[in-house]
Amino acid sequence: MSSTPPGYHGAYLRIDLSEGVAEPVPLSAETLRRRLGGSGLGTEILLREEAAEADPLSADAALAFVFSPLVGSPLTTSAKFAVVSKSPLTERINDSLASSGFALAGKKTGYDALVLTGTAAASSVVVIDDGQVRIEPAGELTGAAVGAAEGLLADRYGPGFQFAVIGPAGERQVRYATISHDGRHAGRGGSGAVLGAKRVKAIAVRGTQRCCWADPTGLVAAARQLSDKSFGPATAKYRELGTAANLLAFNRLNVLPTRNFQLGSFAEAESIAPEQLRAARESARASCAACTIGCEHLYALQGKSQGKVRLEYESLFALGSLCGVSDSEAVLACVERCDQLGLDTISAGGTIAFAMECVERGYLAAPELRFGNGDAVLAMLEAIGSGTGLGPRLALGSRALAAQLGGDSLDFAPQVKGLEMPGYDPRGLQTMGLGLAVATRGADHNRSGAYEADFSNQVDRRNVGLDAARLAVAAEDRAALMDSLILCKFLRGVFDDLYAESAAMLRLVTGWDVDGDELRETARQIVDLKKRFNIRAGWTPAEDTLPPRMLNEALPDDPQAALSAEKLQQLIGAYNLERGWTRDGWLKD
Amino acid sequence: MAVVVELFGICRERAGVASADVPGACLGDVLEVLATRFPRLADDCIDRRRLRAGYIANLRGEAFVSDPDTPLGDGDSLLLMSLDAGG
Repeated sequence: MSSTPPGYHGAYLRIDLSEGVAEPVPLSAETLRRRLGGSGLGTEILLREEAAEADPLSADAALAFVFSPLVGSPLTTSAKFAVVSKSPLTERINDSLASSGFALAGKKTGYDALVLTGTAAASSVVVIDDGQVRIEPAGELTGAAVGAAEGLLADRYGPGFQFAVIGPAGERQVRYATISHDGRHAGRGGSGAVLGAKRVKAIAVRGTQRCCWADPTGLVAAARQLSDKSFGPATAKYRELGTAANLLAFNRLNVLPTRNFQLGSFAEAESIAPEQLRAARESARASCAACTIGCEHLYALQGKSQGKVRLEYESLFALGSLCGVSDSEAVLACVERCDQLGLDTISAGGTIAFAMECVERGYLAAPELRFGNGDAVLAMLEAIGSGTGLGPRLALGSRALAAQLGGDSLDFAPQVKGLEMPGYDPRGLQTMGLGLAVATRGADHNRSGAYEADFSNQVDRRNVGLDAARLAVAAEDRAALMDSLILCKFLRGVFDDLYAESAAMLRLVTGWDVDGDELRETARQIVDLKKRFNIRAGWTPAEDTLPPRMLNEALPDDPQAALSAEKLQQLIGAYNLERGWTRDGWLKD
Repeated sequence: MAVVVELFGICRERAGVASADVPGACLGDVLEVLATRFPRLADDCIDRRRLRAGYIANLRGEAFVSDPDTPLGDGDSLLLMSLDAGG
């Protein structure tokens, strides 16, 4: 292999913000075939840029916007990109994915990835116009909320440009700040803080450089088939109800994290459920760019704030049951504030819920910060975004806050590797618990969809056997493939054989003679690569675990849902061996 | 013998109710009755004595079940929900 394959440009653009210069860096066909794009290619680039060893908020850090061979193709859900960096929250690999026109316009700049290094002299906008780079003062954008910033950028640069922006939280380097665009967010792990540390308020991209496809006729036919399947029953839940529909089912199964994981069910869940929201307020549906599923469900605000807010299950649990908040208007207002400040809703809710329990236990003196007080959650989000009051302490995330507070507070900080836990109680979903413990990004439902096994008759979800390790590996590998191709995981149910069908699509795009077996191995290698990054960043086996609370206490509302430290260690050992690593989790080479 | 069927997500939307008391000694029996009682649920979620792909049943909030011959006890709760849990 030598020449650039169809679907790719064959290079990334490296922009040194300190020097104000940009240069193309070639990507060989061999590298592209091994790493595909998105998370896989991004991790490869970061290792080359020696980002694993760097302080993620320093000038030495690199942050990559990575596209994929499918971006710009007619395949549904393919308008996606990955933001890859070392996380300031976890100090480990962080790959956050998002969908928007930014992916389409970004790839048309003529590069497979845009990589930022160094630090700008002042708050800036990085403009990449058909591959030409200029760095301009952010000016009136500085301090603006996400929506306002996007509006100002559209006014300043006009049509044809797409933007990725940070909100005030990113500018203040809140460790779980997002990068936002078109109402979507590269949400987890604090990539917004990395951009903020580089003094980049926004990136504007525009271009005309399209990639060719190896078999355009076949690709259009395949895209039509995939779109047809995307309208079927496998996506009905997402299309008709949205992800928030998980809430009541999870609640019934006692796996809905409530009051900082003290409980697995929320007595007032019905009051914040999407079924109730739809009955009580105006709602609408929307889609990401180039998507036929249309999973976004927006609900009208009815209080002081106006407009509609997009509601996902993870936001609903984190700012609802996890904080004990049953006032649906308060939950929606909190989600809206996170969107505008540029905060990851899971980490924001997780950190605030942790702080609430710290208040209950006397670690923190903040009497208003009580479970169930939606106004207090909203006020705390504002404090985090504005750097006032307790905000700067909570801006560091629950692990760092626990380190400040001391005592046994780390035992009930809801995090793995520093990343706050998503809405799945690992005691009642133990395959997922394993996935959360070992995931390279930290507690993560998008890089490990191991709950799929728990929601099946393949395992006893409250008492899994060692076979759960194989299932967790399989789920993680599937995610690695989809995050590198890149395709939306909500499509996963439409494939009979993800690997073979993905290979067929990739053949049409690139012309490679790739098959399902090769992609299966590629996915495994990408997971290995992320582990390699983490090892270089200082990973040790001790960090593959769950919070002590999860290992010392059964769920009070489901006493059979218990997971011991010994059991988790057995599962982790089996997982590591299944991956071909040492039992402790080290790579063998 | 009757069980309490609790419906979630698409299953609830199609049936138009959150729960229903349904006679039946095994999973397949209950699904047959549900299909007769709730035609829209039958169209999208039930294929004779089984749930269609994409849907899953849970017994008493504990084990997930799919075999139509799975025995049910009087008063058992049977939960019907979407298979895809993610979000």
